[in-house]
Amino acid sequence: MLNVQNLTKRFTGSLAVDAVSFQIGHGEIFGLLGPNGAGKTTTIRMVLHILEPDGGTVTYDGRPFSESTRNLLGYLPEERGLYKKSRLMDTLLYFGELRGLRRSEARLRVRDWLRRLDLAGQENRRIEEFSKGNQQKIQFIAAVLHDPVLLILDEPFSGLDPVNQLLFKDILQDLKQQGKSIILSTHQMDQAERLSDMLCLINKGRAVLSGAMRDVKQRYGKNSLHVEFDGDGAFMERLPGVQRALLYERSAELELASGATPRSIIAQLNPLVELRKVELLEPSLHSIFLQVVGEPLPGNGETGGSSGVNADGGAL
Amino acid sequence: MIQKALAVARWEYLEKVKSKAFLIGLLLTPIIMIAMGVLPTIFVGQEDETTRAIGVIDPTGTLGDAFAERLQTRYTLKNGNPNYVVLPLAIGRNVNLEEAERDAALRVARGEIEGFCVLSASDSVVEYRSKVVGDFAIGMRIEETLKELIADQRVKALGLDPAIVKKLDVRLNVRMVKLSEEGKEEDTGFEKVFISAYVFLMMLFLLIISSGQMLVRSVIEEKSNRIVEVLVSSCSPTELMAGKVLGLSALGLTQMGFWAVIGIALSAQFGMNLVAPDQALLLVLYFILGYLFYAAVFIGAGSPFNTEQEAQQITSYLVLFLILPIVLAIPAMKDPGAGWIRVLTFIPLLTPTMMALRIPIQMPAWWEILSTVVLMVVSIYFAMIAAGRIFRIGILSTGKSPSIKEFLRWIRTG
Repeated sequence: MLNVQNLTKRFTGSLAVDAVSFQIGHGEIFGLLGPNGAGKTTTIRMVLHILEPDGGTVTYDGRPFSESTRNLLGYLPEERGLYKKSRLMDTLLYFGELRGLRRSEARLRVRDWLRRLDLAGQENRRIEEFSKGNQQKIQFIAAVLHDPVLLILDEPFSGLDPVNQLLFKDILQDLKQQGKSIILSTHQMDQAERLSDMLCLINKGRAVLSGAMRDVKQRYGKNSLHVEFDGDGAFMERLPGVQRALLYERSAELELASGATPRSIIAQLNPLVELRKVELLEPSLHSIFLQVVGEPLPGNGETGGSSGVNADGGAL
Repeated sequence: MIQKALAVARWEYLEKVKSKAFLIGLLLTPIIMIAMGVLPTIFVGQEDETTRAIGVIDPTGTLGDAFAERLQTRYTLKNGNPNYVVLPLAIGRNVNLEEAERDAALRVARGEIEGFCVLSASDSVVEYRSKVVGDFAIGMRIEETLKELIADQRVKALGLDPAIVKKLDVRLNVRMVKLSEEGKEEDTGFEKVFISAYVFLMMLFLLIISSGQMLVRSVIEEKSNRIVEVLVSSCSPTELMAGKVLGLSALGLTQMGFWAVIGIALSAQFGMNLVAPDQALLLVLYFILGYLFYAAVFIGAGSPFNTEQEAQQITSYLVLFLILPIVLAIPAMKDPGAGWIRVLTFIPLLTPTMMALRIPIQMPAWWEILSTVVLMVVSIYFAMIAAGRIFRIGILSTGKSPSIKEFLRWIRTG
């Protein structure tokens, strides 16, 4: 559906996005991944035609950008904002109209979505009266109301409680079933890992890894030992035979150095901690990213963990 | 293309019309303007309701008693009682002035009298001493009464008949009559010209300021909460800007229409005809032109900033241009055809307000009207283009405010 070729953007002196290319098909969820400041948001802004690229092309179903392709796109920006003093229904009708919907049609769809997101009956409340999480739902409705073919979500899960995260994931799966293409931009690797079919890892403006999630993971083979244990696991970082360790509260992902076997590692761990579960698996996306980039992810890592509750991202 | 701009216009219009700030401005502005025009005359012209006691000190001994009597009988309250009770405090050549004044001042302090006149020997100066010196009416009445009294005494001293002297007293007023282009007499005097020119200037001024600031505020709000990203991914910056200008212009016209209805109703009430219909049409035309031009200027000046405070530093300079014609109202009224006034009329920032000032005073020549309208249309066209270019980049720029150099570069690079 979307074809991005050699997209490049230069900001005074530095390359924010450097010849990034990717394709997204219908019914695919595409993870656009990378640390804060990697160039994800700049890439998205060029796809949305908010920013003019300095080089490269973007086509939508083979067509270049035009005023009519605008209505194919839906966008949930990372920084959330709505008109505080305005009423819910008015606001959503406005956003719908801006995407080319007729008001009568928009009204029906808003009702539908409000029901689906547990906000029915609150059409006339002012935006400022809603909680942060609900405002995020409202913004999401604004992004999907006109039934976009390509939905771009920038850090959609940050600030949502687990119940609503689940609700969002269900809706994304639904949209995927309907054949929509979805770009999921996030620095939360584990979220993306579970949802995405395709991925593109961006670091410092360059695409360092891209392809189908399954292929990427296979390429890195089953060389990661996922362990759960009781006790202090701090020593695992310096364990012989471990290339890299990602430590969480009661679990760890140990990337095996060449020559090391799971057996030898387990033998070293056993006397020091109470092992509960050991599994040889494909590396997590997080671990793959570290292998590719060779440095820890800023703002991720020690505390992140598999629950994926990270600090909200900043700009870019 | 048009539909999205209209959607923006509709949104801007309805959201602002429904806001409390708009309603307050809509109602409060005419109230304040009427209050400013009417209240002072009401208060100044208000008559006393109770009799007031004042004293007289006359060290010459020639005027005091007669003055006291005259002042007391000359002015009466509505209920027929005398307005002033005048107490002769110390009258005669043997009066110790200092002592008498001290004594009278004590009476004022005790509240027995409100004030007192000192008819001193040094001619042509009469003092009225009181706790309240802002009462113009009493000063004028003392002066009038005393003048008449002295004149009467002099007439008598010359042995003339006071009745003849009355005949000599000529009273007249100069009535200013405005002639129309065809030389016909128009029913508008100075006050009407002044009021209508002033009212139109103030209206234009208030409208441009309030809606210009609304425009800047709405852009900055959208920037700071990043709605603007959703907006410019939904429609083009041109559509967005056009919609905003359109919506807020409609808002301005609503406001103006509302005020105009009030104004017409009020002037009909007082039997005044502020402007002729052909003038009104021209004024509305300049209103709209000025409005659009300033809208572009405000957008261009305001959209690169991230906070209202920063934007206000720039936009407050624009306000100066709008105030200028108000300052010039008096000289322009004296000589509306002066060369420098004509020159100022051809500066686009001033054209609408200068015309709003000039039209009610003296209709400018047709070529002036035609050329300024063309000038405004051309200026609006270029201002909109420049504003659009700044807007397109400005709405997405966060970080620090741009320098003048960057501004110019944005305008040049279409």
